[in-house]
Amino acid sequence: MIDFKNLPKEELFGQGNVGCKGCGAAIAGRQAMKVLGERTIITIPASCMATLGGNNTKTTWRVPFYHTLFECAPAISSGIRAALDIQGIKDVNVVSWGGDAGSADIGFQSLTGAAERQEHMIHVLYDNEMYMNTGGQQGSQTPQYACTSNCGCGKGIHKKNMLAIMEAHGIDYVASANIAYPEDLMAKFKKAASKKGFSYIHILAPCHRGWGIKPEETIEVARKAVESGLWELYEVDEGKRTRTYEPSFIPVSDYLKAQSRFKTMSEAQMAELQKSVDLYYGRGE
Amino acid sequence: MNKVLITGSEAAALGAKLANIEVLGYYPITPAFPAMERLSKYIEDGELNCKFIRVESDHSALAAVLGASLAGARSYTVTNSQGLLLMTEVAYHAAGLRQPIVMGVANRALSAPHSRFPEHGDAISQAASGWIQLFCENNQDIMDNTIQAFRIAEELRTPVMVNYEGYIQSHTLEEVFVPDQEKVTAFLPLNRQPALDINNPRGVNTVTGPEFYTDYKYKQNEAVLQALTLIPSVAAEYNKEFGGKSCGLLESYRMEDAEHAIVAMGSIVSTSRLLVDELRKQGKKIGLVKVKAWRPFPAKEIFELLHNVRYVTVLDKNIVFGVGGALASDIKAALYGKGNMVINGVIIGLGGGKCGVSEIKETVDHTESSDSDKNRSEWFGL
Repeated sequence: MIDFKNLPKEELFGQGNVGCKGCGAAIAGRQAMKVLGERTIITIPASCMATLGGNNTKTTWRVPFYHTLFECAPAISSGIRAALDIQGIKDVNVVSWGGDAGSADIGFQSLTGAAERQEHMIHVLYDNEMYMNTGGQQGSQTPQYACTSNCGCGKGIHKKNMLAIMEAHGIDYVASANIAYPEDLMAKFKKAASKKGFSYIHILAPCHRGWGIKPEETIEVARKAVESGLWELYEVDEGKRTRTYEPSFIPVSDYLKAQSRFKTMSEAQMAELQKSVDLYYGRGE
Repeated sequence: MNKVLITGSEAAALGAKLANIEVLGYYPITPAFPAMERLSKYIEDGELNCKFIRVESDHSALAAVLGASLAGARSYTVTNSQGLLLMTEVAYHAAGLRQPIVMGVANRALSAPHSRFPEHGDAISQAASGWIQLFCENNQDIMDNTIQAFRIAEELRTPVMVNYEGYIQSHTLEEVFVPDQEKVTAFLPLNRQPALDINNPRGVNTVTGPEFYTDYKYKQNEAVLQALTLIPSVAAEYNKEFGGKSCGLLESYRMEDAEHAIVAMGSIVSTSRLLVDELRKQGKKIGLVKVKAWRPFPAKEIFELLHNVRYVTVLDKNIVFGVGGALASDIKAALYGKGNMVINGVIIGLGGGKCGVSEIKETVDHTESSDSDKNRSEWFGL
């Protein structure tokens, strides 16, 4: 369990970062680093997270940080782990931290490769559900009905289930997380860091610009995703699946209507989505 | 040194083993794969203490090797043709990050049309990548250049490509003198400079503004240019230490009073030697310049060898579309305004095309004929 009182005061990531105010990605980074600690080497492929942490001769990272090419952060991290092993350097968390594009789309090949090899590392997908570093285009992690800068009438197909895909690799640890539940998120990072093989943590981290919410609503909307049942918090620890938080089941429309990206969604479509959530959690008629 | 009969792939693998590589990243491709298989066998047999990362693509192969290098390990990979093209993004990136990676390239033609056969198109595609590029004439060169490449890469913090042709070299047995392990270990002292150091955290590849970018690139270019001095001095030291016969940037062969020079790189150098010997017997004043270092390009040294000749026949096993052979273009630029020789650039041996002694003789004859157009590349064997 995570005891907030005993968390280190030191910030290994976050101070002076150039993210937008209310940036969900930066919040996720700060929470994770509280647990991962200073013996961490982090690689981040092209994304907001890569650019907001280091500019010219300045960086907000207080651990070794490397802004990698788009497709290959998990491959780079595999090489880092090999180099540490050959030098006998122990007790280092090797982390690759991609956005939804750098993990699920352009970066998927190197991710599935590293997971299949059971590399001793943690891969994080920080998910804002669209390509925000280039202005908010649609990707595989964009949910159905969400409008993006290149699709104003809403995505016609559903979101690719990355958690299920990663679970199918038979890796040590798979978990979903959400920045509105820091205790849960940090506990999962702690567990992942203790594994000898590959761990995958998928964090829902809203981007207020892409989602059409106010900067100060980032946490509130992230919380609604969980409480409505649309973003289930769970883990699969060496094959054992556990729901780590029981949602209160607010209507999904509370979550959807809080954001302008779902503005084209009809009441009927919302009702349909509510039905599928109810069915998933066994709450239907 | 003991003498063994080995293929070019084995020479590359043995060179990397003698260099005590610590991390190998690799994705199988023909004809480079036997070098990887040999290296993974050394590792399995406990003869080499090295981590082999069995990646899922060529892009990830170079990425994994790059990550290892950034974290302080001596790293190596081999590839060719499509694999090298897929790696291209990482190749430019690794050079910009100044990582001393060494890569063997078993040169093979590029698709389309699909071809498995040797030529230099893959290496030439990396002309502007920032990698130092060495070309091998025979299997001894592969061994010698692979070992020297680590020294050059680590001193200049710049990656080095060691090119040898697919099949003609990768799969052909030749006698190779093998340096002693202990001496190679002493020749290549491990001087780790990890950019990603757990005890000294730094940000690598941060977003760079216009006020810094040009300076980075200037320094990168200066490092590559320094290889013009370093490559010959490393070769001289290597020869002294191991009794080798490695040339520096170039080797001149029977050029003393030559009126006609053949310039080439790779396996066609050996073939050209035979022709030069044959023509010399007939009294023809002809010589040969072997280009070992193509990047950086030794323009001054080329000029010194060629400024007195009347004819130059440049053999290019590559084509830069709309321009001509890469080596011929470089030589024309190096000699610009410095003489009145006829420079005949010949595109020959593409995709395994025939390029034996008689074919090279035809190109030499053609250079001296009135048909030769010194401003264009000529295609041989159409």
